[in-house]
Amino acid sequence: MDFLVKWISNVPVFAVPFALAALGLILTEKSGVLSLGAEGFMLMGAMAGVGAVIVTGQPLAALVIAAIAAAVISLVFAALVVVLRVNQVIAGLAMVFLCQGLTSLIATTEGWTSRAIVGLAKLPIPGLADIPVIGRIAFQQDLVVYLTIPIFIAVQWFLNRTETGLRLRAVGENPEAADSAGVSVALYRTGAIMAGAALVGLAGGYLSVAVAKIWVDGMAGGRGWIAIALVIFARWHPWRALLGAVLFGAIEALIPRVAAIGVQVPQYFMLMTPYVATLLVMIWAAMRGNVRLDEPGALGRPHVREERR
Amino acid sequence: MPSAAPWCTMASRADADTPAGAAMPPPRGRGLGRFNLEIRQHVSPLRQTLVLLGGLVVGLVATAIVLMLAGVGLSGIYQEFVLGIFSNRMSISAVLVQAAPLLVVGLSAVVAFRVRFWNIGIEGQMIFGSIFATFVAINDIGPESLRLPLMLVAAALGGMLWILVPAVLKLRLGINEIISTLLLNYVAFNYLLYLLYGAWKDPRSSFPNSEQYEPFERLPMIGWENVSWALPLALVLAVLIWWLLNVSRFGFYARFVDANPKMAAAVGVPIAFVTLAAALMSGAVSGIGGFVVSAGIEGRMTQSFFLGYTFSGILIAFLARNNPLIAILVALFVGVLFVAGQSLQVFYQIPGSMVQLIQAIIVISVAASEFFVRHRVHWVRGGG
Repeated sequence: MDFLVKWISNVPVFAVPFALAALGLILTEKSGVLSLGAEGFMLMGAMAGVGAVIVTGQPLAALVIAAIAAAVISLVFAALVVVLRVNQVIAGLAMVFLCQGLTSLIATTEGWTSRAIVGLAKLPIPGLADIPVIGRIAFQQDLVVYLTIPIFIAVQWFLNRTETGLRLRAVGENPEAADSAGVSVALYRTGAIMAGAALVGLAGGYLSVAVAKIWVDGMAGGRGWIAIALVIFARWHPWRALLGAVLFGAIEALIPRVAAIGVQVPQYFMLMTPYVATLLVMIWAAMRGNVRLDEPGALGRPHVREERR
Repeated sequence: MPSAAPWCTMASRADADTPAGAAMPPPRGRGLGRFNLEIRQHVSPLRQTLVLLGGLVVGLVATAIVLMLAGVGLSGIYQEFVLGIFSNRMSISAVLVQAAPLLVVGLSAVVAFRVRFWNIGIEGQMIFGSIFATFVAINDIGPESLRLPLMLVAAALGGMLWILVPAVLKLRLGINEIISTLLLNYVAFNYLLYLLYGAWKDPRSSFPNSEQYEPFERLPMIGWENVSWALPLALVLAVLIWWLLNVSRFGFYARFVDANPKMAAAVGVPIAFVTLAAALMSGAVSGIGGFVVSAGIEGRMTQSFFLGYTFSGILIAFLARNNPLIAILVALFVGVLFVAGQSLQVFYQIPGSMVQLIQAIIVISVAASEFFVRHRVHWVRGGG
């Protein structure tokens, strides 16, 4: 019982980075831009978050800075895919490696690498936190965990209930039609890339500021890629992505627990599980039917007004 | 209209240019003018090359700026990237040594990209190539004279095995190979650590390396500085792959699949077979890349021998326009970057990640320059 409560109460902390990153990716991809740079934006957020904590001492401000840093670097991506119409796969991969190099370079020269920081504090909710079991699981988390559900509601509402969200989806489904209706494809795609990257950056900042409380090179450890897989698994539905994120959070939270109760599994095999699970989830999603039916119609396709299609 | 006075309004020009009564849409812009884009229908190879070289130059200038920001002066850049490399045999041989595995992974990327298979799992395949080769080495499989060829074949099989799952998943279920090959890098890496911290730990030093290969398990030197047979091996692979992709029937099929898969299917090209074969070959070549690093440079399997090769492979294939022979030149260029990067690390305390950053900047600037290959941009004055 104690094992279960400890495990489940750790799930939200591990699920939040996946959830926010997947949500950011959905936002970007709904505009028809394939965002393979997620791993890079996550690293950017994580590095900026730790740097901001070291400089300002404010974990909450650091999370905002993490989101801003990722949004700023995503402008390079936007310039490449929206203005210069570069192949989105090449541009996304280049962004990952650009951010890997840049974050490592900045953190090393500033002396931020492997430096323990005061992370984001837990925020027990008075009264509710003392309820047995449920209190520990749901009401002794940090602020970002509490905010994740409202953020999901806000993005869902924005995409499905506002005119801007409708236009954004139109740009992703059929940019030519949206363009002839007077919607600026370039503007909406740039906005979607930046907003999405901000969420991915927030996820990265949360990873370093709230979970690891330290920066090491490449610390996103493939979580950006897992988030991309989650979006496919969720078929671009935010709530399903949240469900997937909780699943992966549960797997990640289980890894240290298994060793703690003395089950003999080589640790390196435990560390493989998130990646193997991602593959299995993708296989499962593909077996259930063609994923392409649910993806935004113009995903990965640059909009070239001068070309007839 | 060069004779028109600057204050001449757009409206009067429009009147002059169009027949009376033609309906004119209201002009949109108001300022000085706007950029007009035109798609080029035909681009000469010369022009294409020049623009891409221009992109490369822009990337190198951006690199120089980043290096100057990091505290390396212009003279330092000249010293490290030009003088330090080409003035002595030692560093030229260092470039050649480094270029061999770079060329091999570049070729792996070329083969895969020719059939639009995005192999981002080069590092994982290198790891399994090296694991298989090391297995042959530490278990003393086969006679000593055949040990190296056996290790080479084992490495190719290991790399092939590691790409088999993503390739089959893509062909059978349509699962995106970018994500599956990349995820398997992490699995392979953890398996490597499992071996190196467990059963395969060096019994003599108890460091997390495999035990050192015997002399006959290492690629011999060619007799010039410390260049080993890894380089000739890589060059032979380049020529073989060039033949395969540009001369053989398989290469013709691959070009067909790349250009228009639907058409290829309609005329009876075995698309699934061609894609699978190219993917497996790409994995095998990456596996050989792992063998080249372990048996040609380090003489054992270390825990980080593969780092950075995925992106370098993609970069080489991209800059070489998927041409195996041009890849030789590009691999030498990237080899210079690597060697200069190591020297910057020693003399300027610049982290090794600088090399990665430089590669990313170059890819971005060259990819961006393609815009000017495909489009004609001109400035239209006036507009309101």
